[in-house]
Amino acid sequence: MKTLAIVFRKEMREILRDRRTLLAIGLAALVTPTILVVISQVSTKTATQTYTVGYTGTIPTGLDILMTGTGLKLEPVADPATAAKQQVDLGLAFQPAGIDEWYDPTRQSAALADTRLQVVLGQFNAAKAAAALQQRGIDPGLLTPLPVTGHPLSSPVKAAGNAFLSFFLPYILITMGLTGGLSAAIDASAGERERKTLESLLLTPAPRSRILLGKILAVSVISLVAALAAIGSMLLALARIPLLDTHVSLSPLAAAVMVWLAILLAGCFTSLTLTLGTLAKNFRQGQAFSTPLYFITIFPASIILFIPDFNPNLAYYLIPILNAVLVLRDAILHDSIAWPALGLTTASLVATGLICWFAALRLFTRETLLIKS
Amino acid sequence: MSPAAVKVDRLEKTLGKNRVLRGISLEAGSGEIFGLLGPNGAGKTTTLRIICTLLAPDAGSVEVLGFDTRTAPEEVRRRVGVVTADIGVYPRLSARENITYFAELSGVLDGELKRRVDAVLERLDMVPFANQRAESLSSGQKQKVAIARAIVHDPEVLMFDEPTSNLDVLASREIRNFMVESRDRGKCVIFSTHVLHDAERLCDRVTILHEGSVVATGPTSEVRGAHRDLEDAFLELVEAR
Repeated sequence: MKTLAIVFRKEMREILRDRRTLLAIGLAALVTPTILVVISQVSTKTATQTYTVGYTGTIPTGLDILMTGTGLKLEPVADPATAAKQQVDLGLAFQPAGIDEWYDPTRQSAALADTRLQVVLGQFNAAKAAAALQQRGIDPGLLTPLPVTGHPLSSPVKAAGNAFLSFFLPYILITMGLTGGLSAAIDASAGERERKTLESLLLTPAPRSRILLGKILAVSVISLVAALAAIGSMLLALARIPLLDTHVSLSPLAAAVMVWLAILLAGCFTSLTLTLGTLAKNFRQGQAFSTPLYFITIFPASIILFIPDFNPNLAYYLIPILNAVLVLRDAILHDSIAWPALGLTTASLVATGLICWFAALRLFTRETLLIKS
Repeated sequence: MSPAAVKVDRLEKTLGKNRVLRGISLEAGSGEIFGLLGPNGAGKTTTLRIICTLLAPDAGSVEVLGFDTRTAPEEVRRRVGVVTADIGVYPRLSARENITYFAELSGVLDGELKRRVDAVLERLDMVPFANQRAESLSSGQKQKVAIARAIVHDPEVLMFDEPTSNLDVLASREIRNFMVESRDRGKCVIFSTHVLHDAERLCDRVTILHEGSVVATGPTSEVRGAHRDLEDAFLELVEAR
């Protein structure tokens, strides 16, 4: 234990004096709120943006008021089809039998204007139909033979927030857990070889397994701090920045699960990056070896984005990283823990960390690597 | 010669396809400077690496103060200090922190730690730059840090592997003086070099290696024999093979 403490203390001291690592943690804390501010501003701008509608013909009474009220600015044009290509977002020709519409779906503004127009026309048509029926003495309720009354089991606003968190939070946990300690991990492994301190270190009577464990522990702490700093700043930012009309907050249970997974992932990633760093001759090569890891590890978080209803059987929880993403997603969405899934996830991540630690230990003292150094 | 502190017996080692050591034997005693000489690629560094347990021998054995390198590597490492030409130090730690780290890993007790580190800083005249970060030190100062960390646990056996090859004249002289001082303190000093002139001035006994084999061994004066210097003796020995 003493060796472990000595190595841990020394590594922490070195890491905290390393600008690269401090910069990584600082960026981790700053980047997420910055992204959220940008998303918030873009979404606000999109929601309040006014789109231009070029038209010919006579606008039905009342429709112009509805359109102007939903941010569709009416502008008379000579040819709506030509105008819709560049000049305006939508082109409409009002005729007695109906409306001809021209728009370019490849233009985002045109697609958004069309969506708004469809909503407005839906309301206008429903109101007109209801008025016509009423004029003939028929109950307008006839138009909705099966009226639906919704009873959401949880707040839709909160659900939207949780859905956002269930993707974003595992993504940050993984990227920051990996990148936050990457520089320190490579420095503690490939850096020893590059600085030519490895031989001197291995010449001490201290058990090599403990030396490596001390390094893993120190880098894991940095990884953990980076991940939690990023998530903490994200949650803080979400509490202050209005985003897509959602209410985003993390329940105590989900927070506890997240911290537990962050610890496991930090240990796992550190063992893995130290193993790769041990194979490298210098810092640059260590970075090159570790770069593909980013793409490999981010893949599971992407699954949740592309398949939101992905509900795998228990065997999937044996796959490292994917299991952490799934457990965290479930904790956020349902505010509950599936204990068998969490147990398997914990066992899988601990086993992965141990395998990597053992591999790093073998590589750390391999004769051929010592000679190359 | 005093009883052997380091005893190498029929040592063999192959690295990749290269048969680096072909059954070499040698003995180095306490209170002497023992020269391990030979050209580049003769097997000097490999021999030292096996003695200090960084590499394992393919055949043969090595004993350091009675401890076998195979069966008691940690005991061997506790009793050995190695200084190499590669003066790798931790750049973000100060000279003192570098030395303290190695002292702690070498098992120097907490109560002894500060006294030992202070003593070695004074002995090597390092006090003026002890608290300076290693990244800002000169090559000579870094070499002193490397020596200090190798001796801070007061090992019985000191090995110097081409220690002066990256240093200027003044720093080289300090290293040579330090080796002599260590010998006078009763340490077993093994000095590996291809600079035969240095070895002739410092070593009490020498072993000359060539292509992984011992070509001569004995007191320096005996190995030199009637030749003008060790270099001439070495050239004749090599050409005779």
